[in-house]
Amino acid sequence: MADKNAIPKNREWNPDFVGIGVFIIICLMSKANQNQQDVSDETQQVCKDDGIIVMKNITKRFDHLLVLDNVSLAIEAGKTTVVIGPSGCGKTVLIKHMIALLRPSSGEIYFKGDRIDNLSENQLSKIRTSYGFLFQGGALFDSLNVKENILFPVKQHYKVTNHSGSDDLVKMKLAMVGMDGFQNYYPDKLSGGQKKRVALARAIALNPEVILYDEPTTGLDPIRADIINELILKLKSGLGHTSVVVTHDMKSAYKVGDRIIMLHHGKIIADGTAEHIKNHPHPKVQQFINGEVSEDDLAVLRMSGSDLRSQFLPRDFEE
Amino acid sequence: MGESALAAFGSKALEDFNNAGRCSRFIWRGLTGSFKNLFSARYYQLTWNQMNIIGVRSVPVIMVTGAFVGMTLAIQAYDQLAFMGLEERLGVLINISVVKELGPVLAAVMLAGRIGGALTAELGTMKVTEQIEAIRSMGTNPIRYLVAPRVMACLLLTPFLIIYADLLGIMGGFFVSVLQLGVNSGAYWSYSASGVEFWDLSIGVIKGFFFGGAIASISCYKGFHCREGAEGVGQACTEAFVASFISILALNFAMGLIFKAIYNTFWPLRVLL
Ligand SMILES: Nc1ncnc2c1ncn2[C@@H]1O[C@H](COP(=O)(O)OP(=O)(O)OP(=O)(O)O)[C@@H](O)[C@H]1O
Ligand SMILES: [Mg+2]
Repeated sequence: MADKNAIPKNREWNPDFVGIGVFIIICLMSKANQNQQDVSDETQQVCKDDGIIVMKNITKRFDHLLVLDNVSLAIEAGKTTVVIGPSGCGKTVLIKHMIALLRPSSGEIYFKGDRIDNLSENQLSKIRTSYGFLFQGGALFDSLNVKENILFPVKQHYKVTNHSGSDDLVKMKLAMVGMDGFQNYYPDKLSGGQKKRVALARAIALNPEVILYDEPTTGLDPIRADIINELILKLKSGLGHTSVVVTHDMKSAYKVGDRIIMLHHGKIIADGTAEHIKNHPHPKVQQFINGEVSEDDLAVLRMSGSDLRSQFLPRDFEE
Repeated sequence: MGESALAAFGSKALEDFNNAGRCSRFIWRGLTGSFKNLFSARYYQLTWNQMNIIGVRSVPVIMVTGAFVGMTLAIQAYDQLAFMGLEERLGVLINISVVKELGPVLAAVMLAGRIGGALTAELGTMKVTEQIEAIRSMGTNPIRYLVAPRVMACLLLTPFLIIYADLLGIMGGFFVSVLQLGVNSGAYWSYSASGVEFWDLSIGVIKGFFFGGAIASISCYKGFHCREGAEGVGQACTEAFVASFISILALNFAMGLIFKAIYNTFWPLRVLL
């Protein structure tokens, strides 16, 4: 009897010791991490009037996945800000917060000095007409043709009476992205790049003050991509639009960006002009902009052994 | 062990509670959105389109459903009534069952399959391809643009579709009874006319109003909250059908109780009219 009691007692004590040990180790590690981050983190303190869009201490979690970790960022009016970063680092999540399509887990978002992250959807609808948002996948309405897609935001906010005028508007916006003549096509008949360009035409249909581009040049051939770059530049110089561009394409980033921000593990690790980024000391930044594979990634490839086959034959799938 | 099972149960219950809350809020917003759309001409065209898709194209399947219900009832009930020598009363039995219960419920189940599935798949695909977010990003309320016209179309048209189902059910019952089973036609109708009241017919039609609202709002809710990917859309469709079916049955039971109470209360007063 006594023996049986003794064993559980030991078991009760053990986890506590382990727990305390783990706790101490975690504390030490987070201390060490903090020191490391102080060097690499280029997050600046912001105040709500620092720019047209201001994100203050934004943290975003999906369940337990931490995507944005206390990010602060002020987007200057009339400038083009480029966001770069590896795939899956939260660029789309970041840009969706700027228009309050996603709400932060904590932190504040301001548009022209007014807080927007706590507004209701109905209150936001007026504010959102000042924005154009190009979705990464285009997000064209597949029940509407190209013309109706582009007129959608116009019809939602204005009473269209002059139909030849609206035709002209569609024609002009489509010509800007090199898609004039496709008015009556449905999105399922368009290629990926064509969809993207129509989506861009839709995003600028209301002449918004702020345009948010999620990977505008991905999936386009180099010449088209450069035309889009020129378009972004033209919108800035002509009407003084503010742009935020998410991209992987460094050529485009250098060309259109007044300021480049690099996101990594939910933090801003680099922030500055193209020159600043090109000469940035952080190894992750250098790897990313030069498109180099890290030693760790190569090691994984090597580990998979000598018989790494690049092609399978039909017999490989036979039982 | 016991504690963790309890915790799991608790968190599951909380989650279900959350979902139920979210769903009721969604339904409430869909209904208020439909109501608001009544006063805004911009949405008439959308509602009209949905009425065409939802209502007009459902007429054939609904009529087939009704006809089979009536015909089957006639065949099943005939023997029992003939045994008691009451076959001329077949009309009352068939028509009451069709008009009050089977017509509305089976038509609604048919609609849940036909339009519920389509609505969920359509809105679910729009959700996973970010089209619903795109609507939001352009400052439009997706509830009013997408959900309200569909809910409104279902609310308005399900009662009419149920009338179609009733009509074909009555005709199906009549043809089988009179032509195939040889019941006297005059007696069939006169018993039916004395047995089925306007009250019975209105119950069926009023039920249709609620069934339509439930089908549309549940299907839209499932579409709006479906998970990413083709599998997510498929699962949402299944869930939407099951949930619509259950709520049709539950609503039918609840309304049966309520109408019975109303009937019993006001029946004596009818004499005064
Ligand atoms: N709605 C969501 N629910 C759960 N997790 C999400 C959601 N949206 C994004 N995530 C997660 O957030 C992380 C960042 O996603 P995000 O789409 O922002 O990446 P990204 O930087 O845009 O990548 P890419 O360059 O490939 O587009 C991913 O790990 C993703 O799984
Ligand atoms: Mg992205």
